[in-house]
Amino acid sequence: MNAKIPLRISQFGLRGVVGAGLTPTHVLDFSAAFATMLGQPSKVIIGRDPRASGQMIREGVASALMACGHDVIDLGIVSTPVIQHAIADTDARGGISIGASHMAAEWNALKFFGERGSYLSTAEAGELLDIYHLKGFDFARWDALGSYSRDDSAIDRYIANLAQVFDLPALRRFRVLVDCCNGTSALILSILRDRHGLDLVLINEQTEGRAFAHEPATDQRTVRMQLAPLMRHVGADAGFLFDVDSDRVALATESGEAVSEEMVLVLLADEMLTLGPGDTIIANLSTTALLDEVAASHSGRVVRVPVGRNATADALAGFPPEKIAIAGEGTGAVMMPQFRFVYDGIASMLAILTMMHRRSQSLGSILATYPQYSILKGEVPLESHRIPQMMDDIESRYPDARKNNLDGLRADFDNSWFHVRVSQTAPLVRVIAEQRGQPPTALFDELMDTVRSYNS
Amino acid sequence: MSRAHQLKISVSGIRGVVGGFFTPNLACAFAQAFGTYVGPGRVILGRDTRSSGPMLEHAVTCGLLSAGCEVVKIGVAPTPTVQVFVDETRARGGIAITASHNPSEYNALKLFNAEGLFFNHYERGELLELYHQSAFTQVSNADMPGIRFDTESAPRLHIERVLKHVNVDRIRARRFRVALDGVNGAGSEMSVRFLRDTLNCDLHAISVSPDLPFPREAEPKPEVLGDLRALILREHCDIAFAQDPDGDRLAVGDETGRIIDNDDVLALAVDCVLHRLKGPVVVNLTTSSAIDDIAARHGVRVYRSPVGEANVVDRMKSAGAVIGGEGSNGGIIFPSVQYCRDSYTGMAMLLDRMAETGMTASQLAATLPVYHRRLGKAPFEHGRLGALMQSLEAGFPGAATDRRDGLKLTMEDGWIHVRASNTEPILRIAAEARTSDRLNELYGQAESLL
Repeated sequence: MNAKIPLRISQFGLRGVVGAGLTPTHVLDFSAAFATMLGQPSKVIIGRDPRASGQMIREGVASALMACGHDVIDLGIVSTPVIQHAIADTDARGGISIGASHMAAEWNALKFFGERGSYLSTAEAGELLDIYHLKGFDFARWDALGSYSRDDSAIDRYIANLAQVFDLPALRRFRVLVDCCNGTSALILSILRDRHGLDLVLINEQTEGRAFAHEPATDQRTVRMQLAPLMRHVGADAGFLFDVDSDRVALATESGEAVSEEMVLVLLADEMLTLGPGDTIIANLSTTALLDEVAASHSGRVVRVPVGRNATADALAGFPPEKIAIAGEGTGAVMMPQFRFVYDGIASMLAILTMMHRRSQSLGSILATYPQYSILKGEVPLESHRIPQMMDDIESRYPDARKNNLDGLRADFDNSWFHVRVSQTAPLVRVIAEQRGQPPTALFDELMDTVRSYNS
Repeated sequence: MSRAHQLKISVSGIRGVVGGFFTPNLACAFAQAFGTYVGPGRVILGRDTRSSGPMLEHAVTCGLLSAGCEVVKIGVAPTPTVQVFVDETRARGGIAITASHNPSEYNALKLFNAEGLFFNHYERGELLELYHQSAFTQVSNADMPGIRFDTESAPRLHIERVLKHVNVDRIRARRFRVALDGVNGAGSEMSVRFLRDTLNCDLHAISVSPDLPFPREAEPKPEVLGDLRALILREHCDIAFAQDPDGDRLAVGDETGRIIDNDDVLALAVDCVLHRLKGPVVVNLTTSSAIDDIAARHGVRVYRSPVGEANVVDRMKSAGAVIGGEGSNGGIIFPSVQYCRDSYTGMAMLLDRMAETGMTASQLAATLPVYHRRLGKAPFEHGRLGALMQSLEAGFPGAATDRRDGLKLTMEDGWIHVRASNTEPILRIAAEARTSDRLNELYGQAESLL
């Protein structure tokens, strides 16, 4: 792995800085590999976020899919969940979302979806990579190439799906402040505001291609700087901040408190376990232990999986749908049983508002019912080939911990835990430590020092 | 078919069979090289009606954007229309996605510089070098240009230029009965509007549905224009036109149902222009000596160039030619409109000449000097070309030799021209003489030597 070239080809697909790392060749080859993996020519749905490079990438994606005989339906600028719904609502074989989600504007990426809009399983993601590297693409004959067409109605159909699940008129009572971060959420939320009467106050509503008003990260720090200070001025009951492709969301309370990004999943897990019928939560190893406590209070359980959407998809496939209460990450990406194939920030927002409505409680007072957990997250740039040695070293330093090696090292103590792993999306080692109560500062600092000592 | 035949990347650009050979990757990479070469700015992109056109259009757009070029998509458009539009809009360059007269399974990229001209020899070499080195400009998100769509302006501007050089009222007043075979190509709709609406012809058109496949061989040769000849006779047309898929080549039929030889069509156009504008004429080495006779009537000089539109255009520019073209392949180049082969210029010119003189198409053709011509081809083995040319030259002692493009041997009463094709692995043989006996003698002798 070369930390200098901003390009990542992994289980999670393709991402990189356009021009410096991500080139048309990558885009064409990855798309042709995906088209080849789908097999029998059929319909493939594509869409993009507003990044300026998205047009260039869309042209490459479309040409490769068409060359392999697939008919391309282009939804234009839409959120990733809109693409997934569109796949599920039609007989499309799969889809590609062009967009770099929570990353800075200069990045772009391809995310791949299978039938019914599901994330690729680990096996499928592996097959895609194999075809990509073999470059043995199934190009169609000149007279059997795919067509290209536009469909500008996908957002409307997506909103119709949401309106079937959520009682939108009931949610009009809430004044909601939303930071769209110049992303695709604005296209959906403005319709919920204008046509469905939701009292949404949108900031950074204009979609932008070259620069976003701020880093599109759905974390507590960004909420604290960008959204929380405005809450009291607006008199909002809840505040939400979206990433560019709207699959993640972060929260602020009515009193202007920036909420930990871990809490989106906790809140919705609590709600879904209450409503039933599912009793199982799927979450990755980096996600808060508060989830275990909430699950226990409902006699539910948490199934821990490696980080990444493929692993979650694998786990989901192992349960009957009615068993699953919720699945998600501590990043603000949550999928609910009604739309079990989609990480969806907007659906998460509507579900949290519904929870406030159903309980007749403010967001702040709901959050106050949970015990305090403190989580610390850090990352160290990776320039060393000494990862295995580092992991062994860390493991030997904590002989008393309960260990899980599904994805790096997760070590649990009585009131705390840590997770050290190599990122699949960036050349980084990620370090996370959490403690019930006060922050585990000493543990975290010790881990960071150990990791840094191997980066030389 | 050999791999070499299915894909060819050369100074002529990139051309091949779509579906495994001419892939989107190749098209995209070539567009990246082109975009890198012409630099950041607008690039005009058009295509003909081949089924692979839309796919390649996306691939080319991807490559151009990535190299920092804003893409102006003009959709389905004849190649000369793309060229005029590049020139009119002061774009950095243009790309037409078309394999011209090649069969449907082929496609290719025709590349134009800022003047809307084919890349010349040096430009093509430089571009190819860029392509081979993959030394492409790759812009960042901050500098990424966008796409614009304009399907309306380019045909209008092209037709406006053509009409400046003919007497429209005179043509309209005649209400000519015209037969048209558009081969369901890029010119289909534009030609119907041009002939029926602009020039007020009583138009009888076939194969003008751009969504349908080519109904005949793409090259408008007399032997594939049977339907058009039948149409002329059935509808008692005054004249008939047939285009190739990208609307640069033109074939013409007269009111008797005869398809006029391509060299004679060019000769008519040359005659027509020289009546109004006196100046040099440039044609390729394979074009008929009829051009020399006509130029002599008007007292102007003829210059010859190697085969290929770019070569003819280069020579026309240096000679200050008023008209030029390539006889054998139906290309009329009238620089007052644009330095490119243009079927629209040809159609307008011939109708105008008929209106001006009151002569029928066959009467006009009868004013031309009579020559007998034969074109053929022979398979071509690498490494044998030199020896073949030497034995050919030895076979015709006393003939004047011209080696600028293969070998042309000129005698008192005829000539032979043998050259390697730029686009296919074959030798092209052309011969012309005053009498058919002498033609058969010349052609037969060349064929036996080869």
